[in-house]
Amino acid sequence: MSVTNLLNNWAAVRHFHPIDDKPHDPYKWAMAIDLDACIGCNACAVACYAENNLPVVGREKFQHGQAMHWMRIERYWNEDSREFPDQGAEFLPMMCQQCEAAPCETVCPVGATNHTQDGLNSQIYNRCIGSRYCSANCPYKVRYFNWYDYPTTDNVWPAEMNYQLNPDVTVRGKGVMEKCTFCVQRLRAAEVTAKGEGRIVREGEVQTACQQSCPTNAISFGNLVDPESRVYKQWKAQQVDLAKDEQEKDKREGGTDLRGYRIFEDLRPYPSVMYLERVRESAV
Amino acid sequence: MHRYLRFPFMLASFLVAVACHAATEQTLTTEDDLGPQVQQPIEFPHYRHAGNRNPVDPTNSDPTKGGMEINCQYCHTYARRSLTAGIPPLQKCVGCHQNIPTVRDKPRIVELFKYWDAKKAIPWKKVHDLPDFVRFNHERHIKRFIEQQGRPVQEVCGYCHGQVKEMVTARRQKPITMGWCVSCHMKEHVVVAKGAIPEGGTPIGKQDYWYTFQKPAETRNAEGELTAKGPNDCWLCHK
Repeated sequence: MSVTNLLNNWAAVRHFHPIDDKPHDPYKWAMAIDLDACIGCNACAVACYAENNLPVVGREKFQHGQAMHWMRIERYWNEDSREFPDQGAEFLPMMCQQCEAAPCETVCPVGATNHTQDGLNSQIYNRCIGSRYCSANCPYKVRYFNWYDYPTTDNVWPAEMNYQLNPDVTVRGKGVMEKCTFCVQRLRAAEVTAKGEGRIVREGEVQTACQQSCPTNAISFGNLVDPESRVYKQWKAQQVDLAKDEQEKDKREGGTDLRGYRIFEDLRPYPSVMYLERVRESAV
Repeated sequence: MHRYLRFPFMLASFLVAVACHAATEQTLTTEDDLGPQVQQPIEFPHYRHAGNRNPVDPTNSDPTKGGMEINCQYCHTYARRSLTAGIPPLQKCVGCHQNIPTVRDKPRIVELFKYWDAKKAIPWKKVHDLPDFVRFNHERHIKRFIEQQGRPVQEVCGYCHGQVKEMVTARRQKPITMGWCVSCHMKEHVVVAKGAIPEGGTPIGKQDYWYTFQKPAETRNAEGELTAKGPNDCWLCHK
């Protein structure tokens, strides 16, 4: 965030989305999650813990709301006059939506969270001063604060467990904010390899940890400006446009039977994750 | 001490402290700031391996004069394919030196073969040690400057590591601070476009677009060549 932005008419600037000028060239990382395929097994969350050096805080801190799960499975109960409510369990994997016009970015007092050129919402740990304003402004509540110095806390990484830490990811200290990065360490490695070979990253060349571990392939991830990518095809088929705060299909009379939607779209954060609605028995 | 004297005294001591600090503190942003002299287990003579050949003595019989002009990447082989440049395994040293009987009885080589016979790695110490939250990418810089632009290896490595070919054990010559890195990335470089993707150039030209929400103007230098800045994405090094 530059001072120039703040001095200009900020509200007017934020009203439109500048995607028509093709800023995402050659990458825009995006995701599509099929909730009909999600079985709520939590494999994605576990994979995220392993990949991104997330501390396991324990029961007590979890109850205080200090869990550090970048990827969490939200549960909803759709009882729908069923005999057992468990039959109506619905799951929604929730992680940072990598918003195009991210509410967290505008409020950071030190510019520790920025937008990258390939459409990610970056979080720079060594720049963060821990004001927690970004978390307060996040509509998805997917930012997690290090209330303790977890590397030195007992039973987070007991001796020898520290050898399983991912060397490509910083181990965060006390007092910084963190969140899902779309496994940026993998993206950057793939981008550098591709650039050295004079091409762009191919579809399927890079996977996020959650996508890799999903047993039902509910998560697809890729480059949204690449027409060959699965995620592009899904967004296209569901008629979800990144740059709109209300999709054309939703404006239609009588609604639509397309399942794609983005959470809190009307708040205009322009999230980069599209969810595919669960198909309910009543609708079949 | 009288109460009314306290403040002037404190002020004076503060100023003296600041002056002393300013006098002793070495600035980190000078062009060629030397790092600490690191004591290595074996005094590895970089000048002898990577230094320029002595034109008068082409057989290199005098060890005090000429070097072998060995490519930096022959030993630091990981630089072109990973984040880190790496130090060579002991095997690489011995691979050559078991075939050079003339220097076998030199104290450094005797020390080298002690490690080899004991089957132990040499505990080299890090000279260019970045903080844990920095992930500098060697591969990208090698690809750009050496492979795509064809510049000499020793010159390219020297941008950050200084004149290692003239040193015995390596010593940090450049500040290697973020401000120092960025000072290069903020310069206007000529875009070397090849094919669809601007190659040889990270400079894409739209880098600071998202920070300003305004499309940057096309920049050209005095010769009319298209120029752009290096990437300024924090997440390239900090993640």
